[in-house]
Amino acid sequence: MSTLTLREAPPERLDFLSLSPLSLSRLSQGEAERLEVGTSRRGMRLGDCFSVSLDGSDTLTIEGGHERLDRVGASLSEGTIRVVGDVGQRLGAGMAAGTLTVTGHAGPYAASGATGGTITIEGDAGDFAGGAVYAAKAGLDGATLIIRGTAGDHCGDRMRRGLILAGRTGAHAGARMIAGTLAALEVGDLPGYGMRRGTLVVGRHGALSPTFVETGSHDLVFLRLLARQLNSLSEAHAALLAKPLRRYSGDLATLAKGEIWVAG
Amino acid sequence: MPAWVKGAATDIDAAIAAAADLLGAARVPIIAGLNAEVSAIQAAFALAGRVGASLDTDGAAGTYAELGALSRVGAMTSTPAEVVGRADAVLVVGANPWKSDLVGRLVGSRPTRGRAAGAERSLLALGAAQDRATVSVSAEGGCLPALALLRAHLRGHLSDDSPVADLTQRLASARYVAVLYDPAEIGEMGVETVQGLAVDLNDKTRGFALAVPGPGVNQDRAVVPVSAWTTGQAPRVGLGRRVPEHDPWRFDAARQIAAGEADAALWIASVPAPRPSWLGRVPSVALVGEADPDAAEVVIAVGVPGRDVGGVLWNEARGALAYRPPQPGASAPADLPTAASVLGRLANRLAARSETAC
Repeated sequence: MSTLTLREAPPERLDFLSLSPLSLSRLSQGEAERLEVGTSRRGMRLGDCFSVSLDGSDTLTIEGGHERLDRVGASLSEGTIRVVGDVGQRLGAGMAAGTLTVTGHAGPYAASGATGGTITIEGDAGDFAGGAVYAAKAGLDGATLIIRGTAGDHCGDRMRRGLILAGRTGAHAGARMIAGTLAALEVGDLPGYGMRRGTLVVGRHGALSPTFVETGSHDLVFLRLLARQLNSLSEAHAALLAKPLRRYSGDLATLAKGEIWVAG
Repeated sequence: MPAWVKGAATDIDAAIAAAADLLGAARVPIIAGLNAEVSAIQAAFALAGRVGASLDTDGAAGTYAELGALSRVGAMTSTPAEVVGRADAVLVVGANPWKSDLVGRLVGSRPTRGRAAGAERSLLALGAAQDRATVSVSAEGGCLPALALLRAHLRGHLSDDSPVADLTQRLASARYVAVLYDPAEIGEMGVETVQGLAVDLNDKTRGFALAVPGPGVNQDRAVVPVSAWTTGQAPRVGLGRRVPEHDPWRFDAARQIAAGEADAALWIASVPAPRPSWLGRVPSVALVGEADPDAAEVVIAVGVPGRDVGGVLWNEARGALAYRPPQPGASAPADLPTAASVLGRLANRLAARSETAC
């Protein structure tokens, strides 16, 4: 297992786009320490604030995270990255496959545009978790994002494919969703605003847009299949689907093929 | 030429030297405000390249609400002159557009051109009760649900006898509809819904959306094209890595200061603007049209474009960049430098130091 150990808080934001178990496995210790990760005009190299220990394996551990570490795991296409601590923005953004775990909190835009793999945040996530960055076509795009704590506003904004599980989310969860599934124990105001297709499963919710209409209670095979899938990731989320469910269809301001399932 | 360093009056050369020391020593400098004429905005981008700074603007919240929606759904938009000349129904979303000059021109006048020429003009308020409106529909839950409801009615997905249904009928039966909104007030999702509304209106009649400035007037509409032709990006770019990186979250100046990332700031407001609250929290340089010696560590008074000096500014009424000559008999001293010349001298001074040259 390769390990990067944070020695001191970085004086500027660092960009970890080029760091993955695969990229490090091809480098010598010295080459890895000289990797340019800084973002200011002075720049920083990996060895300036991390102790580097490499063994060429497909597992990388970052001991001691920091909210200034951006794009951690963004280039992950195989293997595992585990961060003990916090990370900055765009955790696993655009990631294709593999496993990415953060024990602390993540900044905004976690898993944005991620097409595969599993991203787990054991603490809280910032705004736009699984959401789209500026001018991107879509947010989460096929990966699985699990947020054990609380996600900020706009969780799953414009997500196109994949699955998001969150403890609680702020306002506008699943807004402008293109497709995919988002399950949360509690969401804030206006969930699913402007959603075209897709499925939201929620426990409690804030104000619902008047452009969602209740379409009754249903017992669908799909829900039992979804519950089985969620159960392997989070029993609390799967338990939502065991309760009586009311279905709201919307957003009628757009295509209106989305749905919000509210657990009674 | 008034200039101050740490509150003490000095000459402009000493102030530029102090500003160069301050910016030259910084790891992550920021250039903010950009409330200025086009030549100064261009000079600010050149200086940012020299010192590896990031840039941010006064009206970034509204600018990015508008650009974010534009990048996703496009825009069907018009100009103030077209709206005044052609619109027989004007939907005003939220409270801020009512404070604009454009609404003042629309009230009590009739369209003079096109299919609706000579017809009565109705002003329809959504989200804010208004005496000047023909019809007002309030929005207790905010503008977003109200806009969604209006669009759902227009698409035929909802039907009832509510005030929103009446509003929908009025819009659909008009010959030329204009929807006025302040992007900073309704946000990106609101702008996107407004643009969707314009698209749906064009299935039935003619309809266009037009952003009008809110209470905080700024030169962002001038910064956006300058940034695009200089860097190929929207305004929040950073040049720390010597290529323009666009990141609206990372290069939010207020966030950078709050997070302790930025260690020096240059604030440019040759067009007078309220000072940001964060300005005194890091070593700062202020280039301002209305000078306050205590605004920053280094303060340099520059000419106000269109008053003391000539300059190209965004003209809201025309919806275009236009040259504004200096006003004869302006009260300010005639020897005030332009912001662009001060920024140019600052960049030259920094270029002379080998450690900051690109």
